Amino acid sequence: MNAGKTLDPLGESPESGEAVKAAVDVSVVVPVVRADSRLREVVEGLGEQLESRGQSYEFILVFDGVSGRAFAEAGELVGEDPERVHCIRFQQPFGESACLAKALEITTGEVLVTSPEYLQIEPEDIGLLLDELDAGCDLVAPVRHPRVDAFLNKVQSWAFNLLMRRVLRAPMHDLNCCFRAMRREVLDDVTLYGDVYRFLPAIVHRTGFQVREVRVRHRAEFGGVGLFGVGVYIRRFIDLVGVAFLSRYTLRPLRFFGAVGGVLALIGGVVTTGLVVQRLIIPDMALYQRPLFLLGLLLFVLGVQVIGFGLVGEIIIYTQARNLREYRIERIYE
Amino acid sequence: MSSPQDQPSPRLSVVVPVFNEAGNLPQLHEELLDVLGREEGGFELLYVDDGSQDRSREVLRTLRKGDHRVRVICLRHQAGQTAALAAGFDEARGEILVPLDGDLQNDPADIPKLVARLEDGYDLVAGWRKDRHDAWLVRRLPSIIANRLISWVTGVSVHDTGCTLKAFRRSLVQGRALYGEQHRYLPALFAATGARVTELVVHHRPRQHGESKYGIGRTTRVLLDMLTVTMISSFSQRPLRYFMFLALPFLIASFVVGMTAPLELVGGGAEFGLDTLAVLAFMLPFMACAYFLLLGLLAELVVKASDVHRSGARGASMRGGV
Repeated sequence: MNAGKTLDPLGESPESGEAVKAAVDVSVVVPVVRADSRLREVVEGLGEQLESRGQSYEFILVFDGVSGRAFAEAGELVGEDPERVHCIRFQQPFGESACLAKALEITTGEVLVTSPEYLQIEPEDIGLLLDELDAGCDLVAPVRHPRVDAFLNKVQSWAFNLLMRRVLRAPMHDLNCCFRAMRREVLDDVTLYGDVYRFLPAIVHRTGFQVREVRVRHRAEFGGVGLFGVGVYIRRFIDLVGVAFLSRYTLRPLRFFGAVGGVLALIGGVVTTGLVVQRLIIPDMALYQRPLFLLGLLLFVLGVQVIGFGLVGEIIIYTQARNLREYRIERIYE
Repeated sequence: MSSPQDQPSPRLSVVVPVFNEAGNLPQLHEELLDVLGREEGGFELLYVDDGSQDRSREVLRTLRKGDHRVRVICLRHQAGQTAALAAGFDEARGEILVPLDGDLQNDPADIPKLVARLEDGYDLVAGWRKDRHDAWLVRRLPSIIANRLISWVTGVSVHDTGCTLKAFRRSLVQGRALYGEQHRYLPALFAATGARVTELVVHHRPRQHGESKYGIGRTTRVLLDMLTVTMISSFSQRPLRYFMFLALPFLIASFVVGMTAPLELVGGGAEFGLDTLAVLAFMLPFMACAYFLLLGLLAELVVKASDVHRSGARGASMRGGV
């Protein structure tokens, strides 16, 4: 991710050993993935709320390959308040996860808030998230209620979250709202890539941190998002499968491939043996004229191959295992 | 200033993974201190709380009070027994590591015997629960089968690879991550890197408090684990051979189909000739064979691209040097 182009380089060197700059209370990270963003609303709306809470804050706007009017607007915002608004732009899109990772490199803040590039929820509700975080948990995820969306989108969102709860075994209800507050340390063990950004609360929950949900008021989606296309459904489903597989089976791939392949091979094996036995008892039907025999054989071979893939997965993990830790120490009493 | 870091490192590190064992811990702790107190060279006792939901953590903290030889590692969430042990091994400071179950089924009195055997010139001494107090069908039979198979494939004859109680040198785990269910297969895994492995009969006591954490659902997993362990311990340097070994039955099946199909078709009254189904029935196992060859080549690539072959060589030279 060396394509980061910084408008406002932050790495001031310390002057005569004094603390460089007191770390801010809240860093708001805004990945900008759409050209028609409303950054001024976000920065001013949230800034006002944080100001009234008496917390120091900064905004880190990360442009994911987006330029044009939004980037010019960001330039103005940085010009108006260079102390508190920072802006980075990737030369090409890397995704929201990469944006968050880049922002993490820059900020020293202990509390991070991620926000979409428009006001998805009422800005006052940032207080609800931060209060809940202060009450002693590690990540606060919002649940938009009531949703102001097309009916079909609500159904889609509900189904997606239901599926996600089942597959990932994480009790989250609204992963599609990426307005979240978290402590920095929850990201220590998370590799930020691909679509991890969306699934962050579920992933953080699985690594053993305290995640809570808070009800927030949903603002009408700007720009008339309309109905999601089929592509969105397919992409989300694929992402879910990927995240679920990696979060559950990274260190034991054969458990996954073995379960799938084992079932296939078992069915195939039973069918094949059954027919062979039948052929031996009733010798009037040639084995090689029965399509079912072929189907059994096919399933068996397929199942065994799936297991074979699992074995290659095990080899990959074995050769890389030195870099993987399966446990996370909370604390040591000594 | 006597913080634990200032203490000379002990000779023995006993690592006890704990998951919901509050009822067993006080007695276990007492027995352990009694046995270990008589050991020369000092010891440390590491409890790894694997995200227990009962009072285990409080009990451990009271047991630790004022005793710098006892350390309690709390994991953030339940990571499984292998991961808990790995955490303990990584934190341990002793030369000799002794893992031990937290459920009192292992007898701490066996520790000195295991350590003495280790000093005879071995790198790992595995405990053997010869007289096991567990349900026969659900726990002992799968275990016997699995052990036989592993011994047969890896050539390391250990009767009871699943016994947690063992003693081994720390150098064996240094710079190596344990994951999955590997703690059950340490003898085979370590022997593959050149460790001298032996075994010793240990006591096994019936469970007193709490309940067993495993059931029959484990059998299929043990079966899958075996595939992995045999591959990693014996073939991690040359996976192609392992895959060819797996492909062999399919080659034979293909051959059998090829031989019987013509006879079968004549005998079944069908016209002699290249019946489509027969051709496919011949081709399918043959394809399986070809796929295994390809997967094996892929695995070779993965191994060559990594640095495990170098560490394997290091293990072998270590053996020659001692």
